[in-house]
Amino acid sequence: MSETSPPASATPATPARRFRMPDEIGVIVALVVLMIFIGVARPRFLNPLNLLTLLGHTTFLGMLAVGMVFLLAIREIDLSVGWMFNLSAVVTALLMVAGVNPWLAAFIGILFGALLGLFNGALAVILRLPAIIVTLGTYSMFQGLSLVVDNSRAVVPQDQTSSFFTFASAKIGKIMPVTGAVFLVLAIAMHYVLHRTRFGYRVQAVGSNPEAAALAGISNATVRLQTLVLMGAICGLSGALYVGFRGAIDPNEGSDFVLAVVAAVIIGGTPLSGGSGTVIGAVIGMLIIQVISSGLIFFGIDATWSTFVTGAVIVIAVSLDQLVKYQRNRRAERLKAGR
Amino acid sequence: MTAADTPLVSVRHLAKRYGGVIAIADMSLDVRPGTIHAVVGENGAGKSTLMKILAGVVRPDGGEILIDGQPAELGSPVAARRHGIGIVFQELSLFPERSVLANLYVNREPGRYGIVSTRAMEDGSRDILARLGLDVDVHAPIARLSIGERQLVELARVLLERPRLLILDEPNSALNQRETERLFAILKDIATRGTTILYVSHRLEEVFSISDRITITRNGRDVSTHEIADVTIPQVIEGMIGAHQEELFPPPLPMRAGAASEFSVRGLANVHLRGIDLTARAGEVIGLAGLEGSGVSNLLAVLFGTERAKGEIRYPDGGGLPRSPTDAARRGVCLVPADRRRNGLMLDKSILFNISQVVFGAHGGPLGRYSQSVARERALRQIGKLRIKTRSPDALANELSGGNQQKVVIGKWLEIGPKVFLLDDPTRGVDVGAKREIYALIREMAADGGIVLFASTELPELTGLCDRILVLYRGRVAGELAGGAHDSRTLLHLINTGLMPPAAGRTGAAAEQAT
Repeated sequence: MSETSPPASATPATPARRFRMPDEIGVIVALVVLMIFIGVARPRFLNPLNLLTLLGHTTFLGMLAVGMVFLLAIREIDLSVGWMFNLSAVVTALLMVAGVNPWLAAFIGILFGALLGLFNGALAVILRLPAIIVTLGTYSMFQGLSLVVDNSRAVVPQDQTSSFFTFASAKIGKIMPVTGAVFLVLAIAMHYVLHRTRFGYRVQAVGSNPEAAALAGISNATVRLQTLVLMGAICGLSGALYVGFRGAIDPNEGSDFVLAVVAAVIIGGTPLSGGSGTVIGAVIGMLIIQVISSGLIFFGIDATWSTFVTGAVIVIAVSLDQLVKYQRNRRAERLKAGR
Repeated sequence: MTAADTPLVSVRHLAKRYGGVIAIADMSLDVRPGTIHAVVGENGAGKSTLMKILAGVVRPDGGEILIDGQPAELGSPVAARRHGIGIVFQELSLFPERSVLANLYVNREPGRYGIVSTRAMEDGSRDILARLGLDVDVHAPIARLSIGERQLVELARVLLERPRLLILDEPNSALNQRETERLFAILKDIATRGTTILYVSHRLEEVFSISDRITITRNGRDVSTHEIADVTIPQVIEGMIGAHQEELFPPPLPMRAGAASEFSVRGLANVHLRGIDLTARAGEVIGLAGLEGSGVSNLLAVLFGTERAKGEIRYPDGGGLPRSPTDAARRGVCLVPADRRRNGLMLDKSILFNISQVVFGAHGGPLGRYSQSVARERALRQIGKLRIKTRSPDALANELSGGNQQKVVIGKWLEIGPKVFLLDDPTRGVDVGAKREIYALIREMAADGGIVLFASTELPELTGLCDRILVLYRGRVAGELAGGAHDSRTLLHLINTGLMPPAAGRTGAAAEQAT
């Protein structure tokens, strides 16, 4: 075992880097099949205009799903995302009403979202509670705060001549909404963050085995705090853009976001048991949810069914996930036994 | 063969393996009715697995079990109970929030029409609690009882089932002297009334004071069975340890690094530790020995920053105790934990990911880049250097054998070139070949100028590898054995009693003459 001994014996000769199917292939296929199915039955569905409207619907919820991937990857769930989104949007809109430059107001909205995330994170870390418990409380706190500051009325900035509004509602090449582009850029950036930065590595390590991570010198508390702040900041970004896109924020906008967001992440293939996550999958998952709810309308089924169908899709997605895991475990056992 | 001679329980050629780890290789045992039968052996000898098989908790891979001479299937704890086998586990299996009575009668509460009768529970348990000397409020939650009292409740619960065979696995690990004496009196009493007792322990003095027969186990096999009157403690120890395998331990290597760093601890104390003194120089391998609860694991936890303590401490870098594992990892202090599956590895992640744990996880800020290609380079380097047997660095940690998993844990630390190595039982559950490689690695660590603190429960390891051995007993240093040729008997006595054996010199000399 001296330094000079040739280590080649045990080293795989060339690091075998066979081409591997990306983990997201399953959901991508599911999305395509779903769209072809609806498109064959109702060709109007595949109209580019319709598809872009669909992307527009996906944008704001999709951003939250991107953040939620990080939370599920560290075995946490943030229930307060809808109200962090709403409260950040309300603060942004109120600042605009008060005459603050809309760009500055939007920036403050993002920071405000991060502050709400910091509040969640600080509580979770100091009280040593799971985020799902903490955010069960802050869900109502943020909702209450929002109702207090907007008096349960929509906030509409009067002067919408600023370049911020033109930017947020603009369309690239007359078809692609700018907000949709921001969403896609965010998703790609966050995919990179999860897989190519130390922060992303730590998120996966803590989610995979918190005890081992702590004993490898990774501070669980710091990583949890950072992740919850990131979630808040993304909610702030989504909220601020929403104000620019719609020109107003309704008092109840965001109240029903959290289930769709968590559902999208799970459908996308991020395991509830943590340790890994897929941002691309979450984006596709959110698209699947939107395609289903808009597909139902095309089939003339009452829109109220879409909640039921979304739920059924989650159940199917997690069942498939369990099946894959079961087979992977069996394979690992077999590999070991053959040794 | 008369009925009285038929063993109550016979175990024939039992075998059990967990993945690649052999827990029991080939174990046979006869327990005669009405006797107290002790099973002794070092950690990893297979005692606990044997007991779990008899309790129906674990299924054997091979061999058979006879009860009253008839083959028996012990497929579940319920089946074992039907055969009259009751077991008191080493780990407490009580419900802390529930009352003493609720714990005593869990899942077989007396009563009618589904209504539980507290009266019946009180009446039924009064006698047994009195005999055990348990004077506690039976309606109070278990959590308010001391550990010793809880252990007695656990015993009372099993005794209430009136088992024909009572299995005790280290039943007095949390009992004080008086409680232990009372426990033994009760065990002798129920044995004379016809209950057979299988008693697992490695406290030999106690085993000799209560048992009728003794079976010695080693490496998953039964070595021999004796009437207790026919053997002496040194003979039993000889059987437990077996012939020394000197070739397992490579000789010390010459120092490669010149820097003479030093590590010193003065009066380290917290609730578990009572004034530990310890000095170590670069290149030394220091053994740490002690029973469960002696403070060895607490000492390592303090030195790694996961537990707090007061004292005068100087690390090679001049600093004091690490504030957290993150601090420790950044200062080149590493810990190889005892339970590698739980505390050392991310089993669902690749080798590549696991080897990056410290170098990417603990070092640097969050915004730094995690480069797959650098991580792959590091993984390949450790796979080559430590001879980790794997098809690729992308293989999951879960796919590796125990020894290779441990090498990954060591490899993740070697990537940062640590100065202080805290090794907590690094060869637990590892086959002999991998053990030898890990011993060689420990020599390498020392030769590279590292300070190695090596905790182990296996005596041959300590005596074969360490320059000095510190024995901890109840939170203090009971003794330090210096020099290369340590005497296993002295060490075992020191570990078990906290005292130097009175005639250490004489028995040591006699043993040397004998070999």
